[in-house]
Amino acid sequence: MQDRPTSIELLEAAADFVDREIVPILDGQRQFQSRVVANVMRIVAREIKLEDPFVRSEVRALSKLLAHPEPHVHSLDDLGKVAFKLNEELSEKIRTGAADSGAWRAEVLSMVRRSVEDKLRIANPRYLESDVALRKEAIEQD
Amino acid sequence: MDTKEMTQRLTDFIREQGPFDKVTIENFSKMPGGASREIYSFDCAMERAGEVKRRAMVMRQDPGAHNISSNRRDEFLVIRAAFEEHVPVPEVFWISEDPAVLGSSFFIMERVEGETLARRLLRDAAYAKAREVMPAQLADILARIHRVDPVAHKLDFLSEPGDNAALTEVQRYEANFRQLALEPHPAFELAFRWLLGRIPKTPRKTLVHGDYRIGNVIFGPEGVRSILDWELAHVGDPMEDVGWMCVRAWRFGNDRMPVGGLGTREDFFNVYERASGVPVDPEAARFWEVFGNLRWGIITISQARRHMDKFVNSVELASIGRRTAETELELLNLIQIATS
Repeated sequence: MQDRPTSIELLEAAADFVDREIVPILDGQRQFQSRVVANVMRIVAREIKLEDPFVRSEVRALSKLLAHPEPHVHSLDDLGKVAFKLNEELSEKIRTGAADSGAWRAEVLSMVRRSVEDKLRIANPRYLESDVALRKEAIEQD
Repeated sequence: MDTKEMTQRLTDFIREQGPFDKVTIENFSKMPGGASREIYSFDCAMERAGEVKRRAMVMRQDPGAHNISSNRRDEFLVIRAAFEEHVPVPEVFWISEDPAVLGSSFFIMERVEGETLARRLLRDAAYAKAREVMPAQLADILARIHRVDPVAHKLDFLSEPGDNAALTEVQRYEANFRQLALEPHPAFELAFRWLLGRIPKTPRKTLVHGDYRIGNVIFGPEGVRSILDWELAHVGDPMEDVGWMCVRAWRFGNDRMPVGGLGTREDFFNVYERASGVPVDPEAARFWEVFGNLRWGIITISQARRHMDKFVNSVELASIGRRTAETELELLNLIQIATS
């Protein structure tokens, strides 16, 4: 085991430093690139925090959608490989028209949306939040 | 080649092109730009029969002698054709494809001063007037671009999609996607199926800019000054440019305004219709908007690949790989609105 701080705490400290101390003293391309650096560190921190539960629920949902028994794998690495295979199988089904219409299409759309939303919860949670707000606004207008 | 040598060779080149009695180049400097091209800025004084003319200029050069697929000449000719049809573009002056001059192909055009950062346009108080006038200006200019006759201007080198521009483009990007993506993307598969089921018939074939978005516009506080980046110009369905203009990524968070974060689709279509005399079919525009978001999604994959395949070492390009999910979400939104 490793000592504290955790990897998340380390990354957040580094990202805070870049945002607070480096970004303000630079300009132009360098300033922009250092914002990107801080953002990348925050993505990694969120991934360490969230990827385990996300990939577990993705594998569970995809197995159900594709009518497979739930696989007996436990490590994050193996789960990732299973999720990859299941997403490939789903992609092939979509490509050959199996999700063009009908009840299964609705299930596929909501499954794919969940996966995409989980990717955004790691890559860009603010984008997801503003998208949810916009859609809510659009529904209220109708 | 150092800057001094480059300036000297450029001076000689321009003197021969004129021909001028004397040419002086000042303030020669490399501009920050994309990795796919090199751009230099300079001021040029040209003297002939005792009369001196001064112009602010830029030179666009291919990145290296090893780049075989030079399309500088094509770009030069398209910009010149657009200029002749009164599209606001930089005036183009001279082109050289002789590697003996500067090592690779280049052309020289007018330097248009102004701002290109879309975020400034959307947020800075200085551009309040520009925000107001630009949606209509951009629709009007787009109609003018689509009036440029590729035959009359001898632009026969432009890629031509055949009878079904939409299907050709979808298939081209699907091939790119299959080659580039390192993992499955079910959201993109859904988008491809949606598009393939709704291929619009293309009654018009026109010049298409190919990258018409606010990031490729030079603007000032008063509005549009110049349309840039013509290297993706081709012949195709003019609605492709309309859809691309509506892609979510160019709104920079200003999502209530679908056209570049500045205006509504309805207003944009209305001005375009009045300027072009051709009605906009909203379904065709929607098709090309979905296609545009998908295309941008595939570009995010290819940008990240340039880092991963070690063509460049760039944290920016690497991080763009994690923006693919943004386009996936937008595609799901568009597909679900259109089918509900």
